[in-house]
Amino acid sequence: MNDMQTEGQMKDLVLEYELDAPPEKVWRAISIPAFREKWLPQGALADAEPVSSTPDEEIRYRMRDEEPPFLESTVTFRLRPNAVGGTVLGIIHVLEDARLERHAQTAANDGWPYLMRAA
Amino acid sequence: MIENDIFKALADPTRRAIFEKLATGSMNASALRQGMEISQSAMSQHLSVLRNARLVCEERQGRFVNYEVNPEGLALIAGWLAKYRAYWPARVDTLKALLKDMDQ
Repeated sequence: MNDMQTEGQMKDLVLEYELDAPPEKVWRAISIPAFREKWLPQGALADAEPVSSTPDEEIRYRMRDEEPPFLESTVTFRLRPNAVGGTVLGIIHVLEDARLERHAQTAANDGWPYLMRAA
Repeated sequence: MIENDIFKALADPTRRAIFEKLATGSMNASALRQGMEISQSAMSQHLSVLRNARLVCEERQGRFVNYEVNPEGLALIAGWLAKYRAYWPARVDTLKALLKDMDQ
């Protein structure tokens, strides 16, 4: 089980995990609320209803931090089968808080080196 | 510790409202006070807390001072990234345990 992290954009976290279970089973664990709740608690979500979902492939939720400044974000879980009957789980987590839009613009110009050090 | 300052500064609803107002564009203290039930001195105090947390900075224009969201408030984004970089591996470990417990 190799977990690896790929480099994301400025406000994106892009992570990939190898799971032993097949995609259909992982799908149930991430899309059925009673299962999802066991590993991704409701408190982390802005809305328990997914923003979008494509069975066995992809599901997307809005998230909100539980503490100030309550930053909002969107997480996408992407599933694809791997060569040995398991699943590659992609987690794409993007900070999409309206209050930060202006920051993002500035950062695209000159904030990048600062962030590299800070992060 | 700046992250703590950020959380403390934004834990106050009035300061959060001020910060959100400034996120739409820079303005001076009296423009900021419009529509808010808040005295001039209370506004200055809130702005000073936001400034110390490096969420807001001031920009002098002649006799006027404009306030704006500090572009280095990027500390906020960096903090967010750091938090979730640690968060997801822990969640996925729990997911793996759940998958083992689930029926096929």
